[in-house]
Amino acid sequence: MIWEVFRQEKPGDYHRHVGNVHAPDREMAKLFAQIQHARRMQTNSLWVVPQSEIGEVDAEEAAFGGRTDKSYRWAMTYNDIDASFAKEVEDSEAEQREAAKKRREQLESEGEA
Amino acid sequence: MDIETVKERAGPRQFGPSDDMPEEYRRAATRMIQFHANSEVMGGYLDKEFTRHAPSLDRKLANTAKVQDEIGHAQLLYRAAETLGVKTREEMLDELQNGEGKFLNCFHYPVDSWYEAPMIDFFVDGGAMRRQATLKSTSWTPYAHAMDKVCFEEGFHVKHGESILRELMRGSKATRERTQETFEEWWPRILQFFGPTNDESTHNDFAQEVGLKTTSNDELRNSFLNMYVPKAEKYGLEIPEYPRIFERDDGTMAVREEDLDWDEFWTIAKNDYEGSHEQIGSRARRQEAVAWVRESLDSWEGSAAGTPQAAD
Repeated sequence: MIWEVFRQEKPGDYHRHVGNVHAPDREMAKLFAQIQHARRMQTNSLWVVPQSEIGEVDAEEAAFGGRTDKSYRWAMTYNDIDASFAKEVEDSEAEQREAAKKRREQLESEGEA
Repeated sequence: MDIETVKERAGPRQFGPSDDMPEEYRRAATRMIQFHANSEVMGGYLDKEFTRHAPSLDRKLANTAKVQDEIGHAQLLYRAAETLGVKTREEMLDELQNGEGKFLNCFHYPVDSWYEAPMIDFFVDGGAMRRQATLKSTSWTPYAHAMDKVCFEEGFHVKHGESILRELMRGSKATRERTQETFEEWWPRILQFFGPTNDESTHNDFAQEVGLKTTSNDELRNSFLNMYVPKAEKYGLEIPEYPRIFERDDGTMAVREEDLDWDEFWTIAKNDYEGSHEQIGSRARRQEAVAWVRESLDSWEGSAAGTPQAAD
């Protein structure tokens, strides 16, 4: 049976998928996950999840964020609004811009843009 | 964990569902997150009115996206509150519908015109985002994680609000006057957004001691004023004489508390304002109207064997 492993580096971080292990039960899976995925990496906690328990939707069956024109989410459509007056607004703009850029690159690489 | 240990260990993203937290912490965190979640729902409800009033298709699209965001934020937050094990999502939604759930003062007032959009989308959301950014380092990890996504989306609301304000303030003289009037009506409410001063706030100290809150009401209100007053002035809005704003010796801005209507504030805090009844009633009717969706989800979950328990 295959178990997917999620590692959290520091308390408060997200658990991120790092790979999987082969094990007959949860206890063994936790042990193998420690050995294979946390022995040399800084780790605060591990989650192990049976692979069959993971539901997946992929880009072939769903249109994820960014595949439709969301330019209305950018106040640039109307005029230049300077977001730098408040750090949290500026951060949000930077994150959104980064996300938009990644989506664009993805679309280009798929030859859809 | 006892409360003293919690205070000692308190820090950003320090505690999570696997920690054995004392009842007092879990209740305080639930109260705070539930209030936040309720405010997202009620804010979304208030905001949906603007879709009707929006003057262009673009503005309507943007507003619809915003309402969608707010309702999504509420879902994230109810989930984060549930991880504390004090109340279920169902209970929290029922409380909101029954008028027992508390939510932000600004969302108790009805909105009637597009002129009010920047008051909510720029000033109120701007204030909210000031606060939310500090909550990325709250001690309850699921709450902080929710804030990561909330802040990611919220910047768009603030920028749109500013864009609307700018557009209105570049309109005809009548438009500018109407915007100024609306601003004067909303300004005191916006100043009360951050709640009572530190010495009047019942819950502030404990919430700060256990790391749920990282910044006090006063600090938030002042930093908000320092950023948003210059913005308002930039577009030609005049800051009303009352409530009086003054500059402290260190250059930070503050508001004279005695100029604010705290009776109205506390009436609202009890959900007893005229607008409260209207807003909660609208929410209750909607909650009822979509009961069939919840029921069909429940019956489906009950009938399907569900996900089999992972083989151990």
